[in-house]
Amino acid sequence: MYRLFKTLNRTAFIKALVASVVVVVLVLIGSRNLQNFDAALFAYLVGTVFAVFGIAYRYSVWLQRPPTRLYWQRSMQFLFSSMIFPYLFRSIKLFFRNIVGQRFIAYRSGTRWIGHFLMATGCMLAFAITIPLTFGWINFELKPGDDLTYFAKVFGFEAFSFSLGSPIAFITFHGLVWCSILVTIGAAIMMKRRLTNGGLIATQTFSDDWLPLILLIAISITGLGISYDYTFLEGRTYQFMAVTHAIVVILFLVWLPFGKFFHIFQRVAQLGANLYKKEGMRRGMAVCPHTKQEFATRTHIEDLKKVTEDLGFDYNRKEGINHMDLSPEGKRSALAKAHFEARKKSGKFFG
Amino acid sequence: MAKLPVSVDKIIAEYGPHKAYPPQGGFYGTNEPDKLVKTHCCYCGMQCGIQLKVKDNKIAGFEPWMEFPFNEGRLCPKGVQRYMQNNHPDRLLSPIQRVEGKGFEPLGWDQAMDRTVSEIKRIQKSYGNDSFAMLSGVSLTNEKSYMIGKFARIALKTANLDYNGRLCMVSAGGGNKKAFGLDRSSNSWADLAHAEVIIVAGANISETFPTLTHYIWQARDNGAKLIVVDPRMIPLARTADVHLPIRPGGDSALFGAMLKILVDNDWLDHDFIDQYTSGFEATIEAVKDYDLDWAEEQTGISKDLILEAATLWGKAKTSFLMHARGIEHHTKGVENVLSCINLVLATGRIGKPYCGYGTITGQGNGQGGREHGHKCDQLPGNRDITNPEHRKYISEVWGINEKDMPGKGLTAYEQIEAIHRGEIKGLISICFNPLVSLPNNNYVREALEKLEFYVCMDTFLCETARYADIVLAGSLHEEEEGTVTTAEGRVVKINAAITPPNNARRDGDIIMELAARLGEGDKFSYPTSEDIFNELRVASKGGTADYYGITYKKVEENMGVFWPCPSLDHPGTPRLWEDRKFRTPDGKAHFNPVAYRPASEVTDDEFPVVMTTGRVVSQYLSGTQTRRIGKLVDQYPEPLLEVHPKLALKYGIEDHDLIRVKTRRGEAEFPAHVVETIREDTVFIPYHWGGKFSINQLTIGHLDPISKIPEFKVCACQLYKTDRKGSDKRTKTAYQSSL
Amino acid sequence: MPETNYNQEMAFFVDMQRCIGCHACEMACAECETNGQESMIHVHYVDRAVSTQTTVQVCMHCEDPTCANVCPADAIHQDDFGVVHSADTSRCIGCSNCVLACPFGVPKKKEQAELMMKCNMCYDRTSAGKKPMCATVCPSQALYYGTREEIERMRPDSVPVNSFLFGKQEVNTKVNIMMPKGTHQLIIE
Repeated sequence: MYRLFKTLNRTAFIKALVASVVVVVLVLIGSRNLQNFDAALFAYLVGTVFAVFGIAYRYSVWLQRPPTRLYWQRSMQFLFSSMIFPYLFRSIKLFFRNIVGQRFIAYRSGTRWIGHFLMATGCMLAFAITIPLTFGWINFELKPGDDLTYFAKVFGFEAFSFSLGSPIAFITFHGLVWCSILVTIGAAIMMKRRLTNGGLIATQTFSDDWLPLILLIAISITGLGISYDYTFLEGRTYQFMAVTHAIVVILFLVWLPFGKFFHIFQRVAQLGANLYKKEGMRRGMAVCPHTKQEFATRTHIEDLKKVTEDLGFDYNRKEGINHMDLSPEGKRSALAKAHFEARKKSGKFFG
Repeated sequence: MAKLPVSVDKIIAEYGPHKAYPPQGGFYGTNEPDKLVKTHCCYCGMQCGIQLKVKDNKIAGFEPWMEFPFNEGRLCPKGVQRYMQNNHPDRLLSPIQRVEGKGFEPLGWDQAMDRTVSEIKRIQKSYGNDSFAMLSGVSLTNEKSYMIGKFARIALKTANLDYNGRLCMVSAGGGNKKAFGLDRSSNSWADLAHAEVIIVAGANISETFPTLTHYIWQARDNGAKLIVVDPRMIPLARTADVHLPIRPGGDSALFGAMLKILVDNDWLDHDFIDQYTSGFEATIEAVKDYDLDWAEEQTGISKDLILEAATLWGKAKTSFLMHARGIEHHTKGVENVLSCINLVLATGRIGKPYCGYGTITGQGNGQGGREHGHKCDQLPGNRDITNPEHRKYISEVWGINEKDMPGKGLTAYEQIEAIHRGEIKGLISICFNPLVSLPNNNYVREALEKLEFYVCMDTFLCETARYADIVLAGSLHEEEEGTVTTAEGRVVKINAAITPPNNARRDGDIIMELAARLGEGDKFSYPTSEDIFNELRVASKGGTADYYGITYKKVEENMGVFWPCPSLDHPGTPRLWEDRKFRTPDGKAHFNPVAYRPASEVTDDEFPVVMTTGRVVSQYLSGTQTRRIGKLVDQYPEPLLEVHPKLALKYGIEDHDLIRVKTRRGEAEFPAHVVETIREDTVFIPYHWGGKFSINQLTIGHLDPISKIPEFKVCACQLYKTDRKGSDKRTKTAYQSSL
Repeated sequence: MPETNYNQEMAFFVDMQRCIGCHACEMACAECETNGQESMIHVHYVDRAVSTQTTVQVCMHCEDPTCANVCPADAIHQDDFGVVHSADTSRCIGCSNCVLACPFGVPKKKEQAELMMKCNMCYDRTSAGKKPMCATVCPSQALYYGTREEIERMRPDSVPVNSFLFGKQEVNTKVNIMMPKGTHQLIIE
């Protein structure tokens, strides 16, 4: 991307390596030394570990950029301050509102929120189901001597049990089916928007906007295919269904750190930005010397001056003013005044 | 009985104005419209070309029309938002009638027509034909203007037909007829391109005709010097070469003094004056004492500036002078216009490339609408209703007996006075909102309350229609085919994009049915708008405004045809007077002596401040349409009193203080807007609002003796500082025109 | 970017001294399909108490955009034509860094939507070979979209300049400002 984005980043590499090792260790622990590990899911595990490596690497690189680093540091500093409880409470509230519920999207467009919410909820639930299964953290076993009662083991410990054919069993075993349906509907809504909204049509790209939707639908459909196969076709096409599903899912996992889906992990920063603003307001607002109005927090302006400097910009103007001290309207007026003066100097206001 | 049936706030709650906004992402179908309809903006005399997007018989948005030669896609904010007048929640969808204590209730067309016609017949039987008057408007197409003129004379049989052009450019019309024998801007705007000097007098082009700005800037790029005459530093004046900040009412003194400078320096075109004009000697005699000291005294402009402007004008080889309501809305409006024309004739700079003169017509069809007979003294083709030959020709076209043609009637404001005198008892109006646009409008309100029957044709329940007994739901600009004539004399085509919604009808159909029910249906059977136009062509033939050679086909093919166009093979006339054959009886252009006289009301100890009015860029006239469009309302939500800091200091006024402005007609409160961009002795308030926000409660009803235009642009007032500030509530509700 | 008819001969020229403050551009900007009825252009009085001078500001599309550099979320993208796009909706976290850092005061934050939006030179129109909405409707042509040759022919007293100096910081842009002949840079001291 920009200036500080280098080809290989040592810090990030180390962090990513550590993250991957931690995951592998957790798999070993959680599956009781692979005792509960489902070998059929090995390919998925490899994909997931790769994704963890990639995400951690990119996240680390991302956090090294001056603006991101500053936000990160400030968020931590403000959160773990004397205001920890109100801020923690606020962050949890916003986490549910904006990360789980994605309510902010509703202000961009109603249908867009519905589409995104369905997709995101489907994906999150699916992650919640598949990751523990893949890692061997959860497994289901028939109760010895009772072929009607299933019990679920979490980290090898018995967690709960249910009888085969019960509604709870139906819901549990079809969890991914529900996820697939949510994702498919959501993705279809988003695709329709991309086909009809002139603004989106003009700016969209295949890799950033269509590929993710296609991938999600492909995962959902092939996943449903497996379910369809064993419910109605008695497993006759299982091999085909399972392999195609595995291929698309692994593609998805490998692409996760690089493409559009990385925004899932970036989105959390929104909580930090909110906290930053809140604490900034407590500390005091900056007043624009042109409009004489408050327009941003002082902390934000001071930090931005530093960030721009770190990035190699120098917006210091004469008499100790920094261009960043002006509000956006103040900056526009400054430009207009400078233009007016230049015209005036030339002897004609019009030219 | 035409008092309000219920409280005004109840009427507002039901019929608005309400602000309409486009939905997020635009209207349904804006991405994939069924069709794009090439038509024009309805909000001023420029008539910018625009394409309306239509989806499922609804307007879904707009697309610039790049090929239309005048504006090439350019638009002002009103033009961009123009499409929002359609799909409006306030739209009248059927006829409604006044019900005492209840407000308005819908009724069927049959009942509405029956009642209207029986009231017309009853009133005319009791009080005579002229006791039923008609008021029309020049936002209507040429076809409707023509048909209304014919309707009032033949079906309604009344002499009292007039129109809101009376508040627009009649002074210019009067002046042009006296000087040239013909009423049209002498040039197309194309002649601005290489004019060396441009005078813009009393025309806030940057706000009222924004798309004309491009032509002026283009001329300046080519080296033109710009002179702006205006009491305020309007955006056009800010960078002008010379800004003459004139005291309202001083126009003819300024132009008289400039004429004297031309004479003194012999910056005259003697050949032109000798061969093609008359009245020069008497005219310069009238200004012989108007030296610079005197002019400075009368106009409030420093003499250096006057001299500089006169010198630029005197020495130029090409030039363009334009004016608008700023010099025309005066009891000496015609004289002001004539004093401008004198400057043009003295230098002989007319009828040649880049030598132009003209008024800038304000209303959508201010030009065409003033030519074809819905004016109290006029017949189609800009003929004179008192001229026996003209009467005879039109009577033949209409198939009536000349003796049955009513004579000259009362002008718009005179009709209001006649209602007060009890001479007019019934009124039918279309496209006119006098309660906002006429001066001294509390007097107008009292007149409406005295009427025995008032029927209004409109698309929205405008402020005046609130006093109606019956409102007939008519059509918007985009719902009926026709032509209009732009301010430069170009006849352009208005295309119907959609049909009127629900039970609303096209204006033309309403008028035809009324005529039929009044027993004159055979003279009003036009299957299409083109049929009306074809009759208009014949009716205008041989008149000064000759449309005979203009056809729909020709207009569409050429994107407009300039009249006069007397024959089918005639290409039209963008530039008048190239032949030096003026349309006055002696064939010459006439100088007219203009002796300066003061405004009808001058400042004194009791009312020491000059008050003037005008418009803002986001609103059109009385706001019936534009005060219903959310974004336009928000741009300038309430009328503010512009006052210079020095005057403000005298009264202890600070920005945003609520000021009570008082004149001999009444008083009203406006928040102060303290700005250095206005003269120190003058305050300015824009007029688009009604009820208690209307500055026309305070303006004066004195009329120009010739044009009968009211003196909107100058009267005397006093300011009282209240201890209150302007409030959010005021700002948020002003557009509704509550009382 | 997808299939496009973006014409690189065409350029954007601004001259605020021609602006009459009518807000036509603002109204038209909202009609641009990428904006969904949100207007991205800024028009306002510089100091109404003393003058009717207005300013009009579109995105200048900097060669090295400060907004993109200060974005913590990598949400601002500059395409191959040099058009700096509105924030990527999936990435933007609504922090306002770009709003406050842009030397021209261009980006807008939609508070509740937690989203920055800015002028993308009507990408839906320019990528289809049309002119941007604002420059199409601008009645004073303070905003002009066309070729360099056209503007030089039409405005012989002015020269397009695309370099700005804010104190010590030089900023070069894709969009030009019309300056008196002989000027190479607009200096904001």
